[in-house]
Amino acid sequence: MARSRTLSNHARNILFALLEARGGWQHGYELARLAGVKSGTLYPLLIRLEEQGYLQAEWQQPLEGGRPPRHAYRLTAAGEQLARDNPPHGAAAAARAVAI
Amino acid sequence: MSLGTRRRVALLTCRVLQRALPPGLQPWGGAIAQEVAEIDDDDAALRFALHGLFGLAPRIILFQLARPLAALTGRDTRNGGTVDMDLYEVVVRRPQALGTACAVGAVLLGLAYMWAAGAPLRYLGINTGALAVGLGLLALSGGLVGVARRWPGALTLAMGVLLLATGLLGDRSEGAARWVAFGGLFIQPSLILLPAMIVGFARSRNALSAIGLIVAAAAMAIQPDRAMAGMLAAGLAVLAALRPDRWVLPAFAASALAFGITLVRPDTLPAMPYVDQILYSAFDVHALAGLAVLGGSILLVVPAIVGKLYDATHREAYSVFGIVWLAAILAAAIGNYPTPIVGYGGSAVLGYMLSLAMLPTATRACIGAEVSIRDEAPGQQPVDRHLCIGIALTS
Repeated sequence: MARSRTLSNHARNILFALLEARGGWQHGYELARLAGVKSGTLYPLLIRLEEQGYLQAEWQQPLEGGRPPRHAYRLTAAGEQLARDNPPHGAAAAARAVAI
Repeated sequence: MSLGTRRRVALLTCRVLQRALPPGLQPWGGAIAQEVAEIDDDDAALRFALHGLFGLAPRIILFQLARPLAALTGRDTRNGGTVDMDLYEVVVRRPQALGTACAVGAVLLGLAYMWAAGAPLRYLGINTGALAVGLGLLALSGGLVGVARRWPGALTLAMGVLLLATGLLGDRSEGAARWVAFGGLFIQPSLILLPAMIVGFARSRNALSAIGLIVAAAAMAIQPDRAMAGMLAAGLAVLAALRPDRWVLPAFAASALAFGITLVRPDTLPAMPYVDQILYSAFDVHALAGLAVLGGSILLVVPAIVGKLYDATHREAYSVFGIVWLAAILAAAIGNYPTPIVGYGGSAVLGYMLSLAMLPTATRACIGAEVSIRDEAPGQQPVDRHLCIGIALTS
């Protein structure tokens, strides 16, 4: 069930933070800090992005032994495109200013 | 709260979150729990856990709502599928199931209010009886699909004429003629028929149905009934905004004129106990009674909200359904009008059921191994046995 909606600025920030990772995996807490959103905003958006095929999520074993696996995220190719098409409003304005 | 306590509350929150989430989303609850475990600062960990629970609360609530509803559609929510898909299935295939659950919930809350307010048992019995009749009518729906297919406009026109007849010949009280005596009860035909007429008009319309609504608008001005005239004008205003075609605009103009006339004409009817203006007075009875009335009122518009979110192809019908009942609730909040379903009033229960029957449904067509959802063609909706029984009740 595809539904097209205007992305909120929170969603744009999260996409931008994921895009900045350049294909690398990120964790929830780190992502929340980078995007400047609370976990209550972050996770519903991550779930939706994953359901819509814009995000890959997987459990990763930690580098240090004895610690539990963590959920990690990165954009799919479609997600990267979505992120590029929907930059944060500030970034879009800055890009327009440069273009002018 | 000590540092150790904060950490324990954070972990407990994560456990609650994991348990409450739908099975398909429980790994996300685990993901939050692991992030919380990685955060050194106890305050930050607690905030992360609580915000996570708060943010996912709508999914949890929808899941708990969807479980009984999905059972009605035979869909298993325990394994596979998402809450979104479950609700999508329910709304697209069986919107009446969702609406019925909301109606039953609203009536039960209304009964709780009336019991707390000390209403006569007869009132409770009548509301329960109206619910039973409404459920029976809904269960019998579909038998007159052929009639509705052939004469949808004529049916709306006939209902408009019935409403006009009520205004001209109905039982009068304090200068208003809105009721018809039926089997020892006074029923309000406009509250039974008008919501269904408006929602049906949102689904499909022609010259006859537009005339039917114009006649209904005249009837509301004659009765006079500000609440119902306002409901008609609000429903048609939304439709005019979404789909301003040659049938909608004249009907909307007539309804706006009728509403204006009802505002000018005096309405001296006093408030009826347990019926009118209970949205506020219920809180005087008890906070829980007030919450019951408020919660029941909110339940009435839930099918519209969920339908608008999950059935993109029929947003007009769901928007009109929602605004119609919201208008009725607002009218009850600001004037001496019955609070729909939650207050004592069998007409509103029947009217709600009738308007539910007018919501779109999809039928499943199996083609080979594939199952596809096929929407009914315009004008082929199963308009329904309820309407005719509703007419019978009012004539």
